Amino acid sequence: MRLSRRLALGASLLVLLGACTTGGGGKPAIRIGSDGFYESKLMGEIYAQVLVANGYQVERKLGLGPRKDRVPAMESGQLDLVPEYLGSGLGFYDEAKVSNDPAANKAALQAILDGKGGGITVLGYTPGEDSNAFVVRRETADQFKLARMSDLAPVQDQLTWGLPPECETNPLCAGALKNEYGIRFPPQKLKLLDACDAPMAEALVGKAVDIAELCSTQPVIKQAGLVVLEDDRDTQPAENIAPLVRNDYLAKVGDRAAFQKLLDDVSAKITTQVLLDLGAKVTVDKQDIDDVAAEWLKANGFVK
Amino acid sequence: MEILWATVAWLLDPAHWQAADGIPARLLEHVGISAAAVVVALAVALPVGLVIGHTGRGGTLAVNLANLGRAVPSYAVLVMVLPISLRFSPALGLDVIPTFTAMTLLAVPPIVVNAYAGIRGVEPELVEAARAMGMREREVLGRVELPLAMPVVVGGIRTAAVQVVATATIGAVVAYGGLGRYIIDGIARNEDDRLLAGVVLVAGLALLVDGALALLQRRLTSPGLRRSAPAGTPVTRPSRSR
Repeated sequence: MRLSRRLALGASLLVLLGACTTGGGGKPAIRIGSDGFYESKLMGEIYAQVLVANGYQVERKLGLGPRKDRVPAMESGQLDLVPEYLGSGLGFYDEAKVSNDPAANKAALQAILDGKGGGITVLGYTPGEDSNAFVVRRETADQFKLARMSDLAPVQDQLTWGLPPECETNPLCAGALKNEYGIRFPPQKLKLLDACDAPMAEALVGKAVDIAELCSTQPVIKQAGLVVLEDDRDTQPAENIAPLVRNDYLAKVGDRAAFQKLLDDVSAKITTQVLLDLGAKVTVDKQDIDDVAAEWLKANGFVK
Repeated sequence: MEILWATVAWLLDPAHWQAADGIPARLLEHVGISAAAVVVALAVALPVGLVIGHTGRGGTLAVNLANLGRAVPSYAVLVMVLPISLRFSPALGLDVIPTFTAMTLLAVPPIVVNAYAGIRGVEPELVEAARAMGMREREVLGRVELPLAMPVVVGGIRTAAVQVVATATIGAVVAYGGLGRYIIDGIARNEDDRLLAGVVLVAGLALLVDGALALLQRRLTSPGLRRSAPAGTPVTRPSRSR
């Protein structure tokens, strides 16, 4: 009891001390937001910690919820920085412009964001990406000789499909399956579940569905030895991650190039494997996102 | 205003009355899982409620347990049951079993609590009189207490059924069908007409069920109880737990 009270006092003094030192540094406070799921929060936390380590005062607003709630918060100036997926972020504004080329997605998104909320800048993106992927169990892959999406058409009726409720109206889902891979929609055996959600993963591992739409960095893939089918017709958009920063904040930072380089250097190190590994630490090993972010930043020399 | 017309148009579109995703099929799924859950809940909860009401033993415990059960959100039940039920049955463990379990657990508390409260609310003088006439305990419960408590007991079933019909929509989260499909799919696809049509259908069904059970409640209430009894001759006391 007494020890914990003393610790709490010590901690609050430290916080006060910290607030004083960073507050005096002259670097403007930055409000960082993210979506509600772990990967978005993790990326937000990584950017937050590297900024804190470089003397910025960070106000975390992580875990805000889905894009349609978070985007207005950003556009109306309640947030200064959010991590965004290039493909989905662009698709939110213009589904038709989404491609599987990250540079093209970034350019198209930038063109749109120039006119949003007084201007928003897309910084450098990660080499790693988290795209939607069609995933099967190892035994299903072996039984039906599945490695690529093109292998699915002849055996489509023998599989129970786990697809998201919006698949039917989403050109990247039903559209791609029908037009590129010869899958009839709706499939004969279909279970509607949110893509990348826990029930979808559980349904696949628990054999209630045979093929499921998951996210390519979802830890369950590694954990349960699942097989990601190759998108051999390149239907899924590039989903590399980049921080979006409001222009009015960038105007305040002083040395804008240094600020950008700080974040770009971090993003450059985030590969798909890093997303998978860090994701597993958060969702499988149940480690705190703060700790996972701090450990990775330290191991990569961004924070001492 | 526009969205209301869009919803009406959606409901009237013949395409939405056909096939596996049509309104009749979804309605059947919805009524099916709701009825199954309420029937199973009745089989478990009604005897428990009546017996503890009659004996007075374990009443506080049962009512508190039931109220605790009410505090557990159905969504939590759904998500907690899912990994377990999948292990037992890949075919039914994803959608049917979690939805059925969550709905059954939702239906039990109001049935237990009302059955208990209804029986406890019967005037003790009437129960003593029945015993003095030589009735066995079973007869006291079946011929005196239950008929007098009937409006309250059926009221519990009515509450349970309406709650279940309204809440069975969340089955769509774990791939079950039912009218909740239109709500979940409407949100996912950003189709407000589909979403609102689902809401209208569920609300309509809930009102229908409530009305039907209200009629049943009236039919099962003894004529002497239908009109409020003249002053000075109370047959039931207001129950404490309401």
